[in-house]
Amino acid sequence: MVQSPENPLSAEPEIETSHTEEFVEELRHVTDTLPSRINVDPQSVEQGLAKLVLTLIEFIRRLLEKQAVRRMEGGDLSPEQIEELGLALMRLEAKLQDLKTQFGLADEDLNLDLGPIGRLI
Amino acid sequence: MNSPFEQVVLQSDIDELETSDLSLLETLDHVLNRGLVIAGEITISVADIDLIFLGLNVLVSSVEKAHEVLREREQGKNPGTSETEGLQTER
Amino acid sequence: MRLYVYCVVNPIASPPDKPLRGLGDKEVRSIRSGKLEVLVSAFVGDNVAITEENVVTHQRVIRSVLEFTTPLPFRFGTLVTESQLSSYLESRQVALLEKLDALQGCVEMSVKVIWPTPEITAVNSDDQSQRSGTAFLAAKKEEILGDATLSQRAGDLSLWLSGHLGGLVREEQVNLRPRDRLVLAASHLVEREQLSAYKLGLGAARAERPELHFLVSGPWPPYSFANIDLEFKSQFGVS
Repeated sequence: MVQSPENPLSAEPEIETSHTEEFVEELRHVTDTLPSRINVDPQSVEQGLAKLVLTLIEFIRRLLEKQAVRRMEGGDLSPEQIEELGLALMRLEAKLQDLKTQFGLADEDLNLDLGPIGRLI
Repeated sequence: MNSPFEQVVLQSDIDELETSDLSLLETLDHVLNRGLVIAGEITISVADIDLIFLGLNVLVSSVEKAHEVLREREQGKNPGTSETEGLQTER
Repeated sequence: MRLYVYCVVNPIASPPDKPLRGLGDKEVRSIRSGKLEVLVSAFVGDNVAITEENVVTHQRVIRSVLEFTTPLPFRFGTLVTESQLSSYLESRQVALLEKLDALQGCVEMSVKVIWPTPEITAVNSDDQSQRSGTAFLAAKKEEILGDATLSQRAGDLSLWLSGHLGGLVREEQVNLRPRDRLVLAASHLVEREQLSAYKLGLGAARAERPELHFLVSGPWPPYSFANIDLEFKSQFGVS
């Protein structure tokens, strides 16, 4: 379809904002987790598997946290139980952070916007 | 953390953020991880959680193999007319 | 010898006057497959470096055909052999044609929003020795409550924006990050004829919420809407 003269496309995509510095600051984060090269080899499948496993663990970890908080609020846990639960979850969070670092994955890589499920939890 | 991307983004002062930086970053955002995929990963999501990553290399190789077999059969029937161009299968 | 592939297009009746230069300053040429054409260039090497030069060139090549036809862009860094490309094109011919048809006459616009966020106190797990399990859970509770509120607000923001753009957007992809300052990043598929109306709609939205910071870019080739591959979201989506 040929463009009509009434609707000419600009030569380059226009980028318009009144807050350049702010957006550069936010968008820079994109570059933090970029590989320096893109290549197609079996290794990317391994990375994919690591992502998959960690995503699922992270998902479960968050569920556990929410459940623990609910129980705590519900008042059916003793102070000792709360303390133990909290410590265990704290260690789990730290451990997962280690794993993420090991695989060079950031939170965004695990893509944990729960969407509709988020509201059910 | 040393971003491997530092070589790419101009080493500009944080204070002097140029529109050209924004242009590059926006372009990156649009160009990376979007578009048609020939060989790579398929991502299957549930509620926006990427759950399954499939290496498409396997699929592409299988289709290639099928074509190779067919071509070989053709060559067997018509020796001397095979094209060599495009038949190289790297890796 | 591998090819760097840029995009799938309907066969272009009139090729450009001077040949395009692609990555590594290689000449861009087109390969025909059935009713489709693919723009490619020869590539030396096994992988594609994410450099400014390569990224800008990739975008420039795809952008150049936008004047004549709407392309289906390939993902940046797609390197294949000629036979891999043929296999792909043959096996996906129908889907590609359908997608190409569906996108004709459209471009991609992008809207990003930064909102002023209240300070989000994340649980600091560095000083584990000091922190008790109870304090950890108490902090988590605050975090979770805060999260729920933020998610709600982010969702509302997304709905509000879509409301302003109404039927001007044929298809959209919205990325929400309630905990980030850059809370919303949307890609909109817009018909070219609707571009001015779209921009007006956006202008009205921005005027209505001056506390929000907007970044609008485009028109882009439809990068976000080109993919034909398996998308199971609608089948497995939980609501």
